[in-house]
Parts: sequence; C-alpha cells; structure tokens
Amino acid sequence: MKTLQTFEPEPALGGLAHTPADRPEPILRAGNTNCGGCGMSIGWQLLSRAVADRPVQLVIPASCSIVTAGTYPFSAYGAPIVASTFASAAAVASGLAHAARLNGEKTRVLCWAGDGGTYDIGFATISAAAERNEDILFICYDNEIYGNTGGQRSSATPQNAWTTTTPGGKDVPKKDLLGIMAAHRIPYTASVSMAHLDDAHRKLEHALATPGFRFLHLLAPCPTGWKSEPAESVSLVRMAVDSGLYAVYEVFDGNRVRINIDPTMSDSALERYIASQGRFRKGHADLKALRGEIDASWRELRARAGWASEEATR
Amino acid sequence: MSAELISANHAAALATILAARANRTARGFGSGVYPITPQTESIERICEETFEKGHVVRVESEHSAMAVCMGFSLGGLRAFTASSSNGLAYMAENVFAAAFYRLPIVMMAVNRTLGPPWNIWVDHGDTLALRDAGWIQLYCEDNQEVADSVLAAFRIAEDRRVLLPAMVCQDAFILSHTMMMTDLPPQAEVDAFLPPLDLPHRVTARPLVVGGLDPPRETEVHRRQHQEAMNAVFEVHEEVRGEFKRVFGRELPPAIVPYRLDDAETIFVSMGTTAATVRQVVDAARARGEKVGSLRIRMFRPFPEALLRAAFAGRKRIAVLDRDLSPGLGGIVFSEVRGLADPGALVQNYMIGLGGGDVRAEHIERILADVRARERAGAPEFVEVGG
Amino acid sequence: MPETDLIEIRVHGRGGQGGVTAAKILAAIHAHLGRSVQAFGDYGGERSGAPIRAYLRASRAPITSRNKVYAPDHLIVLDPSLLDAGTLSGLKGGGTLLLNTSEPIDAFNGRFDAFRLAVIDATAIARARGIGSRAVVIVNTTIAGAFARIFDLPFAALEHAYQHLGLARDLPAAREAFERVQVRETAEAMAPGARLGLPPLPDVMPLVEHTESPAVTLKTGSWRTQTPRYADGLAPCSASCPAGNDVVGFVQALDKHGVEAAAEILAKTTPLPSVCGRVCPAPCMDGCNRRELDGAVDIRALERWIGDHTEPARPSTALGMSEQGTNAVSPEPARPSTALGMSEQGTKAISPDDAHAEAAHAEAAHPERSRGTSGPGASKSFAIVGGGPAGLSAAHALATLGHRATILEADRELGGVLRSGIPVYRLAREALDRDIGRLLARGVEARLGERISRERVADLARDFDGVILATGLERQRGLDVPGAKLSGITQGLTFLRQLAMGEKIALDGDVVVLGGGNTAIDCARSALRAGAARVTIAYRRGRDEMPAIKEEITEADNEGVELALLRAPVGFSGNGRVRAVRLAEVELGEPDQSGRRSPKVTERVDELACDVVLLALGQSADLSVLPERWTLRDGRCFDGEHATRVFAAGDVSTGEGTVTHAIGDGRRAAFRAMAACGLEVEIPPRLDVANAVPASAVRFGHYPGSSPAAHEHRVPSSLAGDFAEVDGGLASPAEASRCFSCGTCTECDTCLVYCPEGIIDRRPGGYDIDLEQCKGCGICVAECPRKAMEMVMT
Repeated sequence: MKTLQTFEPEPALGGLAHTPADRPEPILRAGNTNCGGCGMSIGWQLLSRAVADRPVQLVIPASCSIVTAGTYPFSAYGAPIVASTFASAAAVASGLAHAARLNGEKTRVLCWAGDGGTYDIGFATISAAAERNEDILFICYDNEIYGNTGGQRSSATPQNAWTTTTPGGKDVPKKDLLGIMAAHRIPYTASVSMAHLDDAHRKLEHALATPGFRFLHLLAPCPTGWKSEPAESVSLVRMAVDSGLYAVYEVFDGNRVRINIDPTMSDSALERYIASQGRFRKGHADLKALRGEIDASWRELRARAGWASEEATR
Repeated sequence: MSAELISANHAAALATILAARANRTARGFGSGVYPITPQTESIERICEETFEKGHVVRVESEHSAMAVCMGFSLGGLRAFTASSSNGLAYMAENVFAAAFYRLPIVMMAVNRTLGPPWNIWVDHGDTLALRDAGWIQLYCEDNQEVADSVLAAFRIAEDRRVLLPAMVCQDAFILSHTMMMTDLPPQAEVDAFLPPLDLPHRVTARPLVVGGLDPPRETEVHRRQHQEAMNAVFEVHEEVRGEFKRVFGRELPPAIVPYRLDDAETIFVSMGTTAATVRQVVDAARARGEKVGSLRIRMFRPFPEALLRAAFAGRKRIAVLDRDLSPGLGGIVFSEVRGLADPGALVQNYMIGLGGGDVRAEHIERILADVRARERAGAPEFVEVGG
Repeated sequence: MPETDLIEIRVHGRGGQGGVTAAKILAAIHAHLGRSVQAFGDYGGERSGAPIRAYLRASRAPITSRNKVYAPDHLIVLDPSLLDAGTLSGLKGGGTLLLNTSEPIDAFNGRFDAFRLAVIDATAIARARGIGSRAVVIVNTTIAGAFARIFDLPFAALEHAYQHLGLARDLPAAREAFERVQVRETAEAMAPGARLGLPPLPDVMPLVEHTESPAVTLKTGSWRTQTPRYADGLAPCSASCPAGNDVVGFVQALDKHGVEAAAEILAKTTPLPSVCGRVCPAPCMDGCNRRELDGAVDIRALERWIGDHTEPARPSTALGMSEQGTNAVSPEPARPSTALGMSEQGTKAISPDDAHAEAAHAEAAHPERSRGTSGPGASKSFAIVGGGPAGLSAAHALATLGHRATILEADRELGGVLRSGIPVYRLAREALDRDIGRLLARGVEARLGERISRERVADLARDFDGVILATGLERQRGLDVPGAKLSGITQGLTFLRQLAMGEKIALDGDVVVLGGGNTAIDCARSALRAGAARVTIAYRRGRDEMPAIKEEITEADNEGVELALLRAPVGFSGNGRVRAVRLAEVELGEPDQSGRRSPKVTERVDELACDVVLLALGQSADLSVLPERWTLRDGRCFDGEHATRVFAAGDVSTGEGTVTHAIGDGRRAAFRAMAACGLEVEIPPRLDVANAVPASAVRFGHYPGSSPAAHEHRVPSSLAGDFAEVDGGLASPAEASRCFSCGTCTECDTCLVYCPEGIIDRRPGGYDIDLEQCKGCGICVAECPRKAMEMVMT
C-alpha cells in the first residue's frame, strides 16, 4: 500500500474532539506540572482521544510523566496509574493485565514510559514481556534524554546531541528500538508522529484494539532538554518526519512492514530541525553524514517494506 | 491430615498452591517466578499446577518477578514469589516497593550466601540485608514450619490492620532440599483459614495514582503508618496462631521460640536451623546441671523487642549466634538484640555457619564454654566450622 | 557573639526563569566581597514555568543554618504574577522587595508600604537582549544588576562574579538594570516581630485507604508569559483587492455555506461579480498564498461562479431606460420594476426636481434602505456622472446604504467601457446585464443618453446632496511619429467600440496592434474574429512586463496572435494608407520606479508590413467636464479653495485602468460623498498587503495538494465571425475548497487537538481557551494552519 496521506483534513481527527466519543475525563488533566510545549503532554492528548471510553489502567515508570501526576493524594491523571519502579513497567503491567483477564474485565493495560525506561533500564523487562506476548500496549514517549533528572544521555539520544553527561555531544547514534521490538515478532510495532494526527490516531486505536504485546514509539520533543521553543514541538516532529530522520511506519507480526509516510527527504527540514535545537549547537552535527545515515536507513526500511529500491535514491 | 515426605521447597510450594486456590472465589492468584538455586524447586512445583483462577508468569529476572507480583497484587490478586541470595539482591528495589505500596505479597526466601565468590549454601545475610525493606520476616526451623508459615503469612499480610508483604525464610539445603514428613491441610481447611482477599486500595477504573510523589509531610506520615501496621502484626500473629490451631489443630510457633529458658542464666539466641543444634547442646548442658537455655527468633520483622526484653530478663550471659555478617559491625541479630539484655549482662556475638558451614553440637559447645568463661564481652567471634 | 550581619533573601521565580541561579549569582557577588554565603533552591516535581523559591544567605560570620528562609530580610520576585501566592510571607518590616515588573513604581502607590520597594523591568531588558527563549525569558542575570544597585554593591563585584560564572555576555543587561532600577523607601513601619505563623500540618490519608485521586488544583495559567488568542489575520487576497472585496470571506462562504452566502458577502462591496469574474486582472490571485504551493486559487472564476449563479431578487431588464425608452441587447423584454429608474410606464426618466417625491416612493418601496441612516435627512440623493464600473460601484454603495443614486450616462446603455471596450467573447453581454440588472433592482436610477456638460456639473452639485464624476478615460493616447496620420491607423478602443455597437467590420489583411495591455490583447483577438489574416502585437517590453492579464496573453497565443516583443513603433510607411509599421529594437535598462525595466530604443529598425494598425497605447482622463476654476485634488473637486461635494471616481480620478480599481474607487468616492454631506459613515480603508498573512505563516503541509480546477473552454473551429464567449468558467465551485482561508479561522480544531494541556474547547463560532490553565506554550498558534491566532505578551 503506497497511498500515503500526509495532509490534515478538516476538522482535525474528523471532528472527534467535539463529539460524544471524545473522552469526557481527559487522561492528562489540566493543572499538571509539565513544561509548556511538552511533547509528552501532546502524546497524552492523542492517547486520550484514542482511548475514548475504554477502561484503562496505566503503568508509568520513573519519568517526567510520573512527576506529572502531582503529589499525594492528588492526580493530574484522569485514569488509574501505577507509578512503578524504573525498570518494571512492563512487568507490573503483565500482572495487571492478567488480573484483568482472570476477572473477565475489558480493561486495557498500558505502559507509558520515557526512553530511559524503555531503551535503557526497562529494556530487559520490555523484551521479556514482548516475548511472552503479554496483553499490554507499551508506549515509549521518546524525548531522547533523561529529562526528569535534568537531561542526561540515554541510548535514545541522537549522535552529536549535547546532554549534561555528553557535554561534547554524544558520540554514537541512537539505538533502533523499533527494529528491535519488531524482531520480537509481536503483533504490532509502530512509530507515531504527533505531527500527523490521523495516522497517529489510527495507530493508537489499532494498538488499543489489538490483543498481545504492542509497542508504539512516539517522538516527543522536550523544549527544556532540547533547548527548543515550546511552540515548535509539533513542527519539530514534522521536520524530523519530512527530513526522513524519523521514519513513520508500522510492523505487523514482526514481518509485514508498512511505511506510512513517504518523506520528502527534505534537506532544509533536516537543517531546520538541527538548527532549531540548542542541544545540537555544541556538538558538531555533520548534516551530510547525517543525510547519508538517514538515506541508508531508508534503503533498509524500503527493502523491508518491499518497496522498489530505486525509490530509495531520490 | 496427610503427611508427605517432601522438601521444604515443596512444602512452601504446596502451601502456596493451597492459599492460591483459597482465593479462587475472589480475584484469584498470580505469581511471577524466576529460578535461582536453591529455591528453584518451589517455583517448578508451582509451574506444574493448573489454577482455576490464577496465572504464573515466567519472568526474566527476580526484579520482574516481584514487579509482576506487584501488578497482580495491585489488581487485587493473592500473589506469591520465591527467591534467594543474589536474586533477592537483584530484586531488592522492588522488595522495598512492594512494601511501600502496602501490598500483601508473600515471598518464600531460601537463605543463601551472597556472592561472588559464588556459594550456594545457607547464610542469613541475604534476607537480613532486606530487613529494612518494610516486610514481615519469619525464619523457619523445619519443613512443617515452612508450610505453616506460608499459610499464616498470607493471613497476616492480608489482614486489614497490616496490609504488608511477608517473607518466609528457610535455610538453604538444610531445609530447602531436605525431605521431611510434612503435613499439608486439605483445601477446605485452608479455605476456612484464609478468607478471600479484598484489597481496599487495589487499582480499579477510578482515577488513582498508586505510588506517586509523596512530599516530606506525606512521607513522614506514611512511614509512621507503616510502622503502626508493623506493630499490629504482633497482635494479628497471635490471633492467627489461635485461628491456626483452631482450624488445623496444630501449633504455629510464636514470634520467639523459647527452649528450657525457665531458670537459664546462660542462653543462646539464634535463627533458623541453628536453633535445633543449639537445643542439643542445651539438653547436654542441662544434663550436666548447667542453667542453659535457647531462644530462637522466628519473627525478625516486626522486631519482637518487648518479647525479647522479657525473655532476656535475669539472664547473665547471652550468646548471640549470627549466620550472617555485616562487615565492620558484626552480626546483625546481635546488633539488634544486644541492648535488650539486663544491665551488666554479658552479651557476646558469635558468627557461625557463614557460607553454609555445617554447624554441629561441638561448635556450640565451644561457644558455651567461651561465653561461660568470659568476664566481659569482646569483639564478635568467628567460629569456623568448615564444610 | 557580636550582633550578626546575616542577611537572608528569598527569591520567588518560575522554573526555567533562573531563580536558583539568581540566588547563586547574588551569592557569588557577596562571596567576592569576602562574605560567607549560601545559595540553594527548592527542588520538587514542577517544571518550566512553575513557581519556585530560592534562598540566599550572606554574612561575615560562618553560616551554620541549613534551613530554608522563613523570615527573609529581603525578597526578590522575578515575576509579578507570583505576588499573590503568599510571597510576602515572613518578610521583615522595612525589608526590601525587589520586583521585576513592567509597571512603573508609581503603579504601586499604597501597596507594600511597610517595605522598601524597588522595581525594574528585567523581562523587557532580558528579552531585548535575547536572554532565554521567547516563551521563557531568563531574567536572573539582569535583575542581579538591580540588586547590586539597591544594596550598594559595587558593580565591579558583579562583573567579577559574572566573569567567574561564565555570564559575561549578560553584563550589559545587568548594567542596564543597575542604571534603571527605581526605589521607594519604606513608608510605614510594620509592627515589630510580626510574623506569619506556621500553618498546622495537614492530615495524610493512609495509602491503604486511598482509592481515588482527586484532580490536581494547580492553576498553571499563572506560569504564562505569553497568551494565545484568536485574531483574524488579513488575507493577502482581500488585502490585494482594489475593489475592497472580502475575498477570503466570499470564497470560504462559497465553500462552506453555498453560493447565496457568498453572494451576500460580495454584494457588500461590488455590484459586478459576473463582470469581475471574467475580466478582473485579479490581483487577489497574485497575492494568493497558494501560489507558493500549487497555484493560486482561481478566485476570479469563483467570483464569476457566484455572479452567474445568483439571480437578482427581482428580475429587471439589464438596461436602464432612456427617455427614448431604447434598449439594446437585453435578453428579456422590459418589465415594470420597482427600480427607481422605471416609472410605471417604464419609460419616464426622473428629473432632479422629482427627486424628493421619488425618495418618498423609494422609502415606501424599500423601507429597509433607510435603515441604519436615522436622523434628519438620513436619506440623501446623489448624482453619478458616468455608468461605467466606477459609477455603478458608487451607485451600488449609495443604494446599499439607503440613499438615492441617479446615474447620468451619455450612452444609451449602462456599462461604460465594460460594454464598449471589452469584447463580448470575453465579457458576454448577459453577464454584464445580469450585474447591472441586480444593481437596478436595488433601486438605482439611470438616466441614459445624458451627456453632462461642464455647466451641468455645477447644477448637479447644487441639486443633489453629492455628485460623483465617474467619466472614465475618454482620451486615447496617440502616437507622434512619422506617418501617424496614414489611413488604416485607428485607435483600438474605437475599433472595439464599433464592434460592441454591432457594426459590421471586416478586416482582411495583416493587423498590427501597438501596446501590451488588455486593450491590445482585446484588439488583437477581436481583429482575428473580424477576419484579419494575421495579427501581431508589438510591445516595447518583454512578455513578462505586459500589463495584460496573463491568461489573456496565453489565449491570444493560442489563437495565433504573434508577439513582436521589445519593439517600439518609430514610424509608419505607406502611401496614403499604411503599408508597414517601422519597429525599432528595444533594450531594457535599469528598473524604474514601478520596478519595470525601462526600455531603451535602439537604432536597429525593421519594417513590419500591415494593412491596419490598432493603437492600444493607453488612455487619459478628460477633465474638460470640470467647470471653470475647478480643480481636482485627491479625488475631490475644489471650486477655487472651496471644497465641493463633487468627487471623482475611477479612472478619471486615479487612471488605474482596471475594473476592480474602478469599483473600489467608486465605492470610496461614494463614502466620501456621504461623509461630505454629514452622514456618519466609515470610509473604507485601503488595505496594505504588507500587513497580510505571509505565505510563510501558512502551514502548507496541512493542505492536500491540488491543482487549480480547469475551466470549460470553448475552442472555436474558426475564429472569424465567432464572438461567442470563449472561457466557459468553472464546472463547479469546488475550487473554493482550495482556499487556505489565510488569517480566518475555519474551526478546523487543530488548536484544540494539539493543545498539550487539553484546555481549548469548542463553542459556537469558535473556541474558548481556559486561561486559568494555559501555560502559554504557543503550540496552538504555531500549529494554526492559517494564522488565525496570535500570541500576545501577558
């Protein structure tokens, strides 16, 4: 399938936001402590719309998003949340999911974790839950940094990005977690662009409805950590997609690969993406090299998707 | 009653299976399991079982074993796991978490030496390292006590006044792999003993944050409430002992187990199977006319301070036997009990059976001779016993 | 122990503003002065923008306290909106309150009298120097300058501290604050020892009884430094429309609400949608931001669609009635009408003397016309000289506001140049008549066949409340070169007029048209239809510089008209009758004021053989109609120095030469005339395209790519004698859906869906933003695909 719709029909999400299907109690309530322009917050709004009236339980490991909840006994979340230990989200969720199943409840159990809790400390747990094909939707909101602790590198931090623990810029590229998760042959793996609402909503809905372990990756700009303008959070994702830096695709059962957005591979978008973020200012971002890496990864992705190879060179 | 010749690992497993079934009319049973010598047999036995309403998740680590149990427990299920030694150390973060969430999870821990260098034999240092984790800790002396303590642990942990996780500890190989005739009650009796679990703070569909941010004020109060729940365990434990006897017709040992203490001037304090060897020496000493007694600490958390203080009253010499070492301090049990003796009493610490050394009567006799000969207590003594 | 010189300062700021660093900077200054210092902050879960506190102690003696500061000697408040939250708690009487605020110190009269107050607009200083981001300005390095000043700390100490902390770049900001801080000394003493007591500790619910979490109560709106709001931006199409049409309005109305709604919007500014929909040069389309994506929206064709698909409320003949009752190519027979121009007999014209009686008649017939113009003499009467587009527009504007408008037209039909100068294959008479019919249906009176002399102008000025001269460009530019008097050389407009009047003109040789405007193209294409064998347009500049409508040039191309570009006529040859035009090659020089490169005629000359030459070199106004001593200044006639109520409109005034300019100017003249006779009207402003939403503010990716819709196009098999309309217009109004709606909210929900806080709600006709919670991140504004929102400083 190559019909890829990247524009945004009006009204957004088909007007869902003002129909009764919209979740009356948002999952992320107003009055939360997230920074203005937080990409993770936008992710919650998208998730909230997709969840609609489904009963959900969420497990959130250590991350900004658990600090978001606020202090006892209040909650900035309009849904039940378990604040798990850093590495344990997928394991706690496994227990909750079985609890729901054993009791005939339709509750969907989700994990919502940052890149630290997914790529790094949580990885073994996630891999194991995926291997067991637990009935969990695991969403990684990836801000490419340990944001909660003030901005340290994770294995999701891109090459050349400045963090407090890579003061000269990170020396190695980020890990291809989506590829790794797909290799678990789980029912559904997908990357989600918040700049492409319909695609994002469709994926969230599909992931919520599909049984078994599902993994969604959401590129979530962090204005504080990325040193970017809060207002630009969505447009940064758009640039990442347009430039080819963030491939938007989905994998069914680990083997059927479908590219959802055929990017223009815009060099100017890449340039603006790098230039708009203070975190790349101290490193030595080599756009030409980066372009080469992006093109190479797209050749591989296109091959996996069964796209003709000539499309890889544009 | 049907006694079977089984290891303590199987005793724990079979008791757990009974407790699991007993919750079938409520929200069921869940377990996350991961193998580690010498605990593995217990979870293997649980994995053989088919539950009407229960599920066992074969996880990838002890850390996740406890995490899965927390998930089950947060979902309102009765939850169990088992571990040992480095497994417990790896699990430690979630051991604390389970207690701070106030989840009545039961864990069977086989006490084994922490490595490296690697050693699979008994040592209490692994669970004692978790003494501050907020769990109830019960240390057993034989297979029957292991089985009975697992059943009792569920009942105590799930009591509304408590709602804390409980650890049932047993000595590696000496119990875990030793076959003893062990009496396991029929399901109906367990059903009568263990009411269905209705966890008040389980996660439902309502907006709720479990384990979110606690500012200093909230934390100081929650810690105090944790302490109050621990304090309630003494009373609940006594009630459960009464109930245990009523339902099963058998005694559940008390928090501290005395032996020939009546007029004893010199007493031994120990935990686990060491106490059995001590009893032989007590008997021998008594036969020689010496006023010697034994006291086994079965419940280490909550720490039975009042009971111990009462038991220590009037004793002149107290030999505290630790099968553990807090390097730079000495024995952990010693450090906790030393202040409870009468003023002027001699309290001497002996490290014995570290790394699974086979503690025999002759070693205890040597200790007895040492403690009786002392004019005052000295540095912790290492009693080396070999294989 | 001697009396302590310990000072304790508390800083109130927001996460990201640098409150903790502020304490550190101040500590560094004190440390440089040899004092023992301590600086620390509160650490919690809150993020960028949330209120935070930081603390500073300085003393000559070692500092031993490890507590927060509950009774500060001084207070620094980095954000005035934080003043509400118990900020002053514990501040000692007479202590200093250093406040970052844009308000002058006088604004705090009567407030904080118990303290020494210092104010500085550190945000403005820091923002101007680009310290921090647009959303979160970092003010700490600036306000420290003010701090140094009010506590008499040497600026050198500050400089040293900044060098040490790597903040030297911000020293100018600190210096500015140092110099600009304002101080007011303590006005009244506070009771000594006054302290706010510690609040009792709250109860805490046991975890095992916690089964539902109430919602957080934090009002994050207080974090905001900028506020989003819905604000319609000016669409470049609307800004570019000389007629003043609400272009984006009518295109969106057509797309969303249908042709009637669109027509209603158009009718507010133009009587000629069917006409402009065919012949307008459409500057709106030049301005259209969609040009940058995949082609401008075909606004002209959409206007035509609206004009052609809306029927006038009351059918009327398209033509005004002359005294002779003549009418021309009317598609319908004349019928009685309530239009003022029609008496019951349908033939009688109305003299100015009858005006008042007729006004009463008009009000009876159209009471709604007087609405909104209450007051004595609310309904006025105006004479309009000239029935071309400017006159028609002026009459339309006047009639729309309930005034009597009487058009005096020299010809026997209304329309002016629209009728006489634009060929019918381009502007079908039905279209022109439809627009005029609608105008007359509004009650405009037309007197045909009345040519106004200069004497009559003064009479009109006396008899009517106002007069609008819209006589157009009546003088055609000739060519002063050898041979210009040869026969066969004709003014193009004369040729077009003859065709329009139905004269049979048969051309059969080669025709050369001189000029590059629409008249030139019209002449060329008409010449082909009149039978010319070969038609060449000679123009002194290049194709891109031709002022004609681009599509028209293409049409001419398609029809076989040849272009001789960069050619200037320098003479004609022939013996009595023109045989050839002498064309000199032209080179283009530097751009002139209009931006066009000025042509330089060379010595290289060629002859182009021809039988007929049509001159389309432009026209000029004939101002001989003005009475003696009268002058025209900025569109108004002056009798000597006396301003008359006579206004000029359209080409006669501006010479801008397009229908759309004429419409705009006619309307503006009508409003000026209304204002001149005391009516309270707002003269339509001229919009500046520089203020319009630029293409860069439109988020192209939001819109599906689509090419402009094709027109139904007639390709005549033979041009000779075929004057039927060529361009059939659009097959449907779907083209309107390509409109970006620049600057005008379409309620697309993008803002709502992207709001990270989820605090934008739909309401009828728009959205509400919960400003109690809005953190001011600006994503709604940044993501608005059409710039219908803006951020304003809070």
